[in-house]
Amino acid sequence: MYPPKLEKIIQLFESLPEIERRETLVSYADNAKKQEPRAGEKFVLEDVRKDEECADTVGVYLQVDDEGKAHFRMTLGPEVQTLTRAMTAILCKGLDGRTPEEVLELPSDFVTRIVGAELVRVRSQTIYYVLTRIKGICKVYLDRQRMAEVA
Amino acid sequence: MTTSPTQYAHPEALVEADWMEKHLNDEGVRIIESNEDILLYDTGHIPGAVHIDWRSDLQDQVIRDYISPDKFSELCSRNGITPETTCVFYGDKANWWACYALWAFRLYGHEKVKILNGGRDKWKADGRPMTREVPKYPATNYPVPKKRFDKEIRAFADEALAQSKASKPLIDVRSPGEFKGEITHMAEYPQEGVLRGGHIPGAKSMPWKTATNDDSTFKPAADLAKIYFDQCGLKPGTDTVVYCRIGERSSHTWFVLTYLLGLENVRNYDGSWTEWGNKVGAPIEKGV
Repeated sequence: MYPPKLEKIIQLFESLPEIERRETLVSYADNAKKQEPRAGEKFVLEDVRKDEECADTVGVYLQVDDEGKAHFRMTLGPEVQTLTRAMTAILCKGLDGRTPEEVLELPSDFVTRIVGAELVRVRSQTIYYVLTRIKGICKVYLDRQRMAEVA
Repeated sequence: MTTSPTQYAHPEALVEADWMEKHLNDEGVRIIESNEDILLYDTGHIPGAVHIDWRSDLQDQVIRDYISPDKFSELCSRNGITPETTCVFYGDKANWWACYALWAFRLYGHEKVKILNGGRDKWKADGRPMTREVPKYPATNYPVPKKRFDKEIRAFADEALAQSKASKPLIDVRSPGEFKGEITHMAEYPQEGVLRGGHIPGAKSMPWKTATNDDSTFKPAADLAKIYFDQCGLKPGTDTVVYCRIGERSSHTWFVLTYLLGLENVRNYDGSWTEWGNKVGAPIEKGV
């Protein structure tokens, strides 16, 4: 149902007790900076903005290779919350190599399985933000593809 | 015009980082981190600090209220706090949630409370020690508080309405856009379901941030006096009610008025705009 890389991450989180789940989220958050664009990388779409839903600017960069597979990079402003940083690292890794169509069709229920019921309950407004932004850039990409085909 | 004070009314309620560093291992002191970012404590905190979350630790999990006195007793006991412990609060967002937690502790009558000036961001920016080690303190037996001081430091909607009708001081500490009714939440925050925008009739707008410097420390007493005594017209002995959206920014102003300026009758309307803006029939003013 989920991309294999993402499924593996979901299973890892589901196997962890609450304290270790938090530690692992923090560990992913620590690695969010590794998802930033690297020198020389080119992207088909870049979406850098500050939304009402997030405390600071978040940039999403989409690259689609010759086989039609998507690769994501993200930049996060210093005020972005730890949970959002964690989801950035998780989703860039877990969705890497899927097609934009597959990403767009992905149900969002896995987010709660990663974050856990307790964090969902107390901070539910922030956990879907990164997935929404990644899906958003995929949708724009696909819309442009369709428009180009029609033209 | 009120005489300009040269120092805070209760200077002991505000500690600087140097003081904090000297008391990291003080058995009579418990350092408490309270944040908006729920995982921030886990990424590193002041050595010896415990984490108290405004929502999962201080609020009742079913109804919109604070925990019962026996739950407060449990919370303090498991964090090694006694009624004699000096609790020093700090956190992100210029100490919003630290002030909120301090105010909640005062609701249960805990008297020895302080704020770390500048909060977490300044501590970190100054290169002070941080750790990921979670401390474990021997459990105490904090007695169940006999009462909650709601009447003294907390205002409810009917009391805020009475304050409005009596033209007594009401300070709205939200952003100017929220006060005018142009938006119902801070610019970078999620909309949390408020149906109407504006402010309580008669309220004066004085955003919380007016009380702080750029590094999140509090402004000097004389500056605070000009803001709240001269500009807002507050006077010692007069009942004052402060509010914001959910009670955290107004806790910050409540701390300023109560501890730094020494006003004695300040209450925090923690139901704030998320209650007032949804309340059927509640009077609302819009614009400046």
